[in-house]
Amino acid sequence: MAKTTRALSGAAKDAYFRRALEQESGIDMPVGARLLDRLQSGVAQVRVRLDAGSGEPGKVESGSAETAPASVSSAQEASLNEAFDPFALNVILVLRTRGRDAVLRELEAIQSASSLRLLAREQQLSIGTELATLAEIRDAIATAAERRVANRKAAAG
Amino acid sequence: MARFLAVANRKGGVGKSTTSVMLAHAAAAWGGHRVLVIDLDTQCNASLMLIGGEGWDKARRAGHTIADYLYDRFDKVAEDESEYVVKNVGDVAHPRTGKGQVSLLTGSLLLEDVQGELFLKKAQRSNQSDVVTAEVRSGLKRLIKHFGMDFDLVILDCPPGLSFAALAALDLAEKVVVPFRPDYVSQFALDRVALLIERVDTAGELGEIPFASRRYVCLPNYLRGTGRERLLIDDIGLDHPLLKARLPLLDSVARSFDWDEKKKTMQEKYADALPHLKALYDEVLAGPSRRAAVAV
Repeated sequence: MAKTTRALSGAAKDAYFRRALEQESGIDMPVGARLLDRLQSGVAQVRVRLDAGSGEPGKVESGSAETAPASVSSAQEASLNEAFDPFALNVILVLRTRGRDAVLRELEAIQSASSLRLLAREQQLSIGTELATLAEIRDAIATAAERRVANRKAAAG
Repeated sequence: MARFLAVANRKGGVGKSTTSVMLAHAAAAWGGHRVLVIDLDTQCNASLMLIGGEGWDKARRAGHTIADYLYDRFDKVAEDESEYVVKNVGDVAHPRTGKGQVSLLTGSLLLEDVQGELFLKKAQRSNQSDVVTAEVRSGLKRLIKHFGMDFDLVILDCPPGLSFAALAALDLAEKVVVPFRPDYVSQFALDRVALLIERVDTAGELGEIPFASRRYVCLPNYLRGTGRERLLIDDIGLDHPLLKARLPLLDSVARSFDWDEKKKTMQEKYADALPHLKALYDEVLAGPSRRAAVAV
């Protein structure tokens, strides 16, 4: 039977709180920051509800090694993205401070195609829709980040 | 002699006038400084915030704007120029016993035209455009600097474009605050204005200058607390010095610049933006290093 909840702790828990607060447009930034700090430091673990039918996020797409899954249901996708913070990894920053290999290493930790695509979209890193494997998506993200950096450098004169 | 602080960015709509006026109020209210705001932007937003539409029109009709001052005095020795300055402006009440007060050299829609005329005037004496440009720029700088004698702090609210007056202001300023919106195109504007302020030609040359030695510091503004803007600010922080103070997108800031003749306290005026303004003021104008410098 599929799990309907998932326990989050550490960075995943912190990211979950940050994302939840970011989605609330009515909260002033200082209040939001205080709330976030209180939640992140005061709560050791949270159990988040997954949509009915979705599996454990970490295991859903890791079955077929490096192939981006085509059969994940939209409910599962939504649950995966709900728990994933597309801003937790700053791709441009990692690229500029530690290089392309470091970006690829960091992206290795993300085992879901939809999460990688969400990260790319939210960080304005343009990647193709035709990419089939996780490795291709990661590579495209690193390349898009390099283009962004090159673009900025060129514009600076 | 006053300290000259410029608020500049080549991009428009990033909060230059807002930041200028907020810092002016803070320096007068909390630092007890005699502050002059010089409105170098032909949009005249700082003027409208500080004296309202009618006050601005009155200054304009009286010939007491920045454009009038620069045109009238360009080839003359500056004397008592107080007639051009509107005193005790803004809607924050300052104690009668204190010397803290905000004054204004009012902005003008004609400032760009006047600069063009001054250029042509100088060009009649020389056909070398770079010589003429340098003369106009240094002439404007001298005229702006003249106000340093009567104030503790002069805040230069710069226009987005690169007018002679804006360049003169950047030359003169001891420190430049560069407000920016954390969006994609703002990065480019920051890169470019930084080259201008530090008088270098390339990003590589700029990178050679340590952050601590740079005259400018960037102020993230209009923040909504999103992950995207956090990433962008982190990225910008690799290339440019950032203030720790941040200005969130708050209704209280937007509302505070509706012109109001009734004087009020800083708390009444800035409401929940006050802690952010305090942090900005402390860091830019009253931080530990500043206090140490004053003590020396």
